Amino acid sequence: MSRAVRILLTQRIALLALLIVVVVVTFFINDAGGYLTAPYDFDYMSASLISAVPLAMLGLAELLVILSGRGGIDLSVGAVVSLAGMVFGFTYGEWGWPLWPAILATAGFGALCGAVNGFLVSYIGFPALIATLATFYAYKSLAIVINDQQPISTKPIQELFSLSKSVELPLFGRYVPDVPLGIFTFLLPTVVAVWLLLARTTYGRRLYAIGTNDVAARWAGLPVKDTRFKAYVYAGLISGLVAVVTVGQFASARPDAGVSGNGMALPAITIAVLGGVAITGGIGRVAGVVLATLLIVWLNAGILLAFVGNEGSQYQLLALGAVLVFAALLNGLTNRRYGGTTS
Amino acid sequence: MTAVAEAKITKRVLPPPVTGQEFVLVGVIAVVWAALAVSTPAFMTAGSIQPLLVATAPIALVGVGMTIVIITGGIDVSVGGAIMVCSVLTAKALVGSEVGLGVAALLSVLAGGLLGLVNGVLIAYGRVHAIIITFGTANLFMFLGLRIFGSGTVNGIPGTLAFFGRGPDGRTLGVPHAFLITLIITAAAWWYLRHTAGGRHFFAIGGDAQAARLAGVRVQRRTLLAYVVTGLLVGLASCFVIAQGTSTLDQSVGSGKELAVIAAVVIGGTSIMGGRGSVLGTLLGALLVQSVASGVTQLGWRSQLSDLFVGVFIIVAVGADLLRARARRNR
Repeated sequence: MSRAVRILLTQRIALLALLIVVVVVTFFINDAGGYLTAPYDFDYMSASLISAVPLAMLGLAELLVILSGRGGIDLSVGAVVSLAGMVFGFTYGEWGWPLWPAILATAGFGALCGAVNGFLVSYIGFPALIATLATFYAYKSLAIVINDQQPISTKPIQELFSLSKSVELPLFGRYVPDVPLGIFTFLLPTVVAVWLLLARTTYGRRLYAIGTNDVAARWAGLPVKDTRFKAYVYAGLISGLVAVVTVGQFASARPDAGVSGNGMALPAITIAVLGGVAITGGIGRVAGVVLATLLIVWLNAGILLAFVGNEGSQYQLLALGAVLVFAALLNGLTNRRYGGTTS
Repeated sequence: MTAVAEAKITKRVLPPPVTGQEFVLVGVIAVVWAALAVSTPAFMTAGSIQPLLVATAPIALVGVGMTIVIITGGIDVSVGGAIMVCSVLTAKALVGSEVGLGVAALLSVLAGGLLGLVNGVLIAYGRVHAIIITFGTANLFMFLGLRIFGSGTVNGIPGTLAFFGRGPDGRTLGVPHAFLITLIITAAAWWYLRHTAGGRHFFAIGGDAQAARLAGVRVQRRTLLAYVVTGLLVGLASCFVIAQGTSTLDQSVGSGKELAVIAAVVIGGTSIMGGRGSVLGTLLGALLVQSVASGVTQLGWRSQLSDLFVGVFIIVAVGADLLRARARRNR
C-alpha cells in the first residue's frame, strides 16, 4: 500500500493517469444518473479533443523553454500565436499563397519571434520572465496594429474550418469515435517530434543538462547559450503552428486570438507545471504534458455539461486553479519526503 | 560602541537613496513629456495631467506591494484576479446597501488582505515557487470574482468613491487624491524598506533566504507579510479602479493588470531575481507607462500601440540595468 502511494506521489505520470480515470468515471456515473445536460460518452470526449490541440502544443513549447533552466519561461506564446496568425492571414488569406508555403512562412515567423526571445535571454542575459513579458507586449501590440484591428476572414481562410472537423479513422474507424482532424495534422506530429528531440537526440540530452546545472554543463564543454537559444526558437516554431490551427478553428485570423481573455500563455504554463515540469528546469517529460492536457480537457468538457449557461466556464477556472495549487503543494511535499518527483 | 562607528556601518550597508535607474527614468519621463508638450499643446494642461496621475495611481499602488514581493525573490501574478474580486465585492456593497466611503474602502482593503493571506500562506508554508501558486490562485480569484458578478455587469454604482475619482471631488488644490495617497504610501514604503530592520529583512530574503534564516530573519513570516501587504494595497487600488470608471463595472476589470504592474516594477529597476529594488522606481515606472499610453492616444495613434512602447521600455530599462551590473562586476 505504501509503495503504491509512493509511486503515485513520485511518478507524476501515474498520478495523472489515475486522476484521468477518476474524472472520466465520475462524469460517466453522473451521466448515467442523468445529472448532465448532454451525454458524456466516448463521442463527446473525442470531439472535445479539438481543444487539446493548441493547449498541448503550447504546453510542449513551455516544456522546452522551462527545461532549459535559469528561470526559463515564455509569457509571449499567446502573443506569438496572434501575430503569426496575422502573418498566416496575410499570406494565405490575402496574398493567395498556396497552403504549404503559407504554413511554412507562419511557422518560420513564429520561430523568428522565438529567436528574439532566445537572443535576449540566452545571449544578452535577460531573465526569461522579463524578456518574454516585453515581447508579449510588443507582439500583442503589433498583431493588433498591423491590420488596423481587423480580423482577416477571406474565403480561403473560412474554408480552413475543415481542420477542426472530425474524421473517421481508416481500417477500424467504424468501431471507435470520430477524431478531430487537427489531432493528426498538427498535434501528433508535434508530440512525436518533441519526444524524438528530447529523448533521442544529442540536443535533447544537452537541454536536460543545461537545465539541471548550466555551470556544470559549461565546464563539460556544452554550448550552453546555443542550446538555450534554440529552446526558445523551437517554442516560437510550435507557437507559429498553433497560429495556423487557431486560424482554422476560428475560420478567421483574429488579431487578439492568443491574448484575449486570459490569453494562451497562462493555461500553457499551467499544463506544463501540472505535467510535472519543474519550474527550476531540467525535469519534465512529454508524456506528462500530454496526460495533463487530457486531464484538463476532459475535466473541462465534463464541467461544461454539469452546469447550465456560463457557470460552466467559471467552474473551469476553479478546477484549473485548484488542480494547479494541489499539484504544486504535492510537489513540495514529495520533495521533502521522497527527495523529489522523477518526472 | 560609539555613535560614529554606527553611522559608518549605516553608510556602508545602505545603497544610495536614489539609484541610477531612477535618475534615468526621471530623464526619460521628462523627454517624453517634453516631446508630447511640443507635439500636442493640450498635453501640458491640468485637464490632461490630472487624469494621467489618476490612472497611474492603481498600478503604482499595487506596484509598491509587488516591489516588496519581488525584492523577496517572489512574484504575484494573481493581482489581476484579486483586483476583480475586491472591486466587484465593493461595487456590489455600494449598490446594495449604500455604505459610506470609509466602510467601502475598509471592506475592499480587508478582502484584498484576505486574498493576499491565501497567497502568502501557500507560498511561505507550502514551500512552492511563488509563480506557480499565484498562477493557480489567479484562476481561483477569477472564479470567485465571476461568481460574485453573477451574470453580466454591476450597474448603477453610486458616486460614494468620487473622493478617489477623476472628477472635481477627487482633487485637493488640483492634485488628485488617488495620486496623493499613492505618493504617501510609496514614501512610507521607501522609508520602511530602507531605514528599518524589518524592511532590510525583505532584501536579505531575496539575496539569500537560507543565509537570512541563519542570520535570524523569520523568513516565512516576512514572506507572508509581503503578500498580505500586496493584498491590502490591491484592495485600496480596487477602490481607485471603481472610482475611475463609470457607474458600471464589467467583468473585464483587473484583466491583464498583473502584467502591467510587473512591467512598472521592472522598468523601475527592481531586479526580478530578488534582493534589489526600490518603490520609488516603481512609481516612476508606472508614471512612464501611463504617460506613453496617454501620449499615444493624444497623438491620435492606435491606443494598442502603447503596448509596443511598454515592451521596448522593459527591454531598455532592464538592459541598462544588466549593463550596469556587468560594469560593477568588472570593476
